[in-house]
Amino acid sequence: MSDQPLWSQPIENLAPEIQAGRLSPVDIIDTLMERIDTYDGEIKSFVCFAPNARAQAETAAAEIAEGNYKGPLHGVPIAVKDNYFTADMPTRAGSNSAVEYPKIDSSCVAKLREAGAIIIGKTNMHEFAWGNETPPTRNPWNTSHVPGGSSGGSAAAIAAGFVPAALGSDTGGSIRIPAGLCGTVGIKPTYGLVGRSGIVPHSWSLDHAGPLTATVADAAFITEALVGHDKNDPGSVDRVKPNFASSLGASVEGMRIGICRNHFFDALQTDVGVMVETAISQLSKLGCKVVEFEVPNLEYGLAAIFAIELASSTAWHDPSLAAGLTADYQSDVRTLVEIGRFVTAPDYLKAEQLRRVLMEDFARAFSEIDVVVGPTLPLTAWRVGDRSVRIGDADESVLAASWRLTYPWNLIGVPALSIPCGFDSRGLPIGLQFAAPPFREVDLFRLAHAYEAKQDWKGARATLQGL
Amino acid sequence: MKKPDLITDVLGISLKPERVEENLNAYADILQEIAKLRTLDLSDVHPAVIFSPIVVTKGKDHE
Repeated sequence: MSDQPLWSQPIENLAPEIQAGRLSPVDIIDTLMERIDTYDGEIKSFVCFAPNARAQAETAAAEIAEGNYKGPLHGVPIAVKDNYFTADMPTRAGSNSAVEYPKIDSSCVAKLREAGAIIIGKTNMHEFAWGNETPPTRNPWNTSHVPGGSSGGSAAAIAAGFVPAALGSDTGGSIRIPAGLCGTVGIKPTYGLVGRSGIVPHSWSLDHAGPLTATVADAAFITEALVGHDKNDPGSVDRVKPNFASSLGASVEGMRIGICRNHFFDALQTDVGVMVETAISQLSKLGCKVVEFEVPNLEYGLAAIFAIELASSTAWHDPSLAAGLTADYQSDVRTLVEIGRFVTAPDYLKAEQLRRVLMEDFARAFSEIDVVVGPTLPLTAWRVGDRSVRIGDADESVLAASWRLTYPWNLIGVPALSIPCGFDSRGLPIGLQFAAPPFREVDLFRLAHAYEAKQDWKGARATLQGL
Repeated sequence: MKKPDLITDVLGISLKPERVEENLNAYADILQEIAKLRTLDLSDVHPAVIFSPIVVTKGKDHE
């Protein structure tokens, strides 16, 4: 293990030490809880902690000492977003409303426990996964800035060195946006690959579950643990369990990376554009073949995702709307939940038709490329309270800007991963996004791991000195 | 039979009129995007969400 502090170690470093008995899960929990106690009053990433976290660590330590090592997640603390049901902690989905949820483990949490992970606590989220700021959580790289959302607590907890990994959910970018803004890795696997039963729904056909982590290898470990048919999720697929770890360290010589110049490179902050072009050059030097291409019809995507997301969300919240519970929602979320009633059925179905068009457009593109590469967001983390940001020659709403490069991948359901690609002039992280054809996560991990290996910021966390 | 009201009956919205007005204002930008989508002729395209007659039954773990 490197000589960096224990709180900053990724799972790929912790796991061999735990397996060999040189590092106790109890020591990890104690170290992380001390750091959380010291700094989370400022970062505000957690909403609750497992009352038995230390006991979980003691159990894991005993199992490993007895020779029953379960794999790289055994004895590793992992946090979960507050929309995942947990048997030992309440679920609030980031809301103070009176909506109640069962105290059972969601499918993903159950899988993590089976893999031996310690579920340490639950992270803050934008209410009902309907926003990109996650108040009151702050960005650990600069606490005057937002962490993004809706999985902002998960990203902030990792960037702050409170946990090596956390679960998030992603309907239009809610894993990749905070990952990009907080300088973590985050992956939305292919729609259906990771079961979602026991996650508070937001928009059934767009919702994805996945991890945020400090490194690509850690993301591969967790995604692999989460894969498996979920009989309680109608969108779940039943596939042979992949071996993502096998892709780590493989050569990327000859991989075809696609640069979609329309939409994904429109109106970027200068530093974002520079760092993404630098990353593309680095990938080229690693032996990747760069293919530039364009995809039509993306200009209709915003309407499509709004129509589907608004209508679905309103349908799910309908009982709460009828019971008057939405009056307790945050103002922005209440509005979004209410206005789904304005989406007509023909508009909704046209949105679903457009998805088919985009799926076919990208299927054609993917016949000639392996991975699409571009920025995760056109901007870096904005200041808390800012409503718009200058990008190029124009002001743009931060909310509109923050998801315009991520939601296309939700519409077509393909896997997409965000990885840090450096920092802007203010020291705020910049995200690089990779997307691949359905069920080709292995290519994302392979490319991202090769890219990450060449960066001196791999696994970097905010020191929080001065807080 | 009474003529149905567009807001309360057709759209099923039971909010106060001033709240409906606020929401319509909030929806204006989104509607502009949806208006662009409406111009597309996609009549030959099957929607991405496909009906299946197979019932997905809930298992025991999360009922």
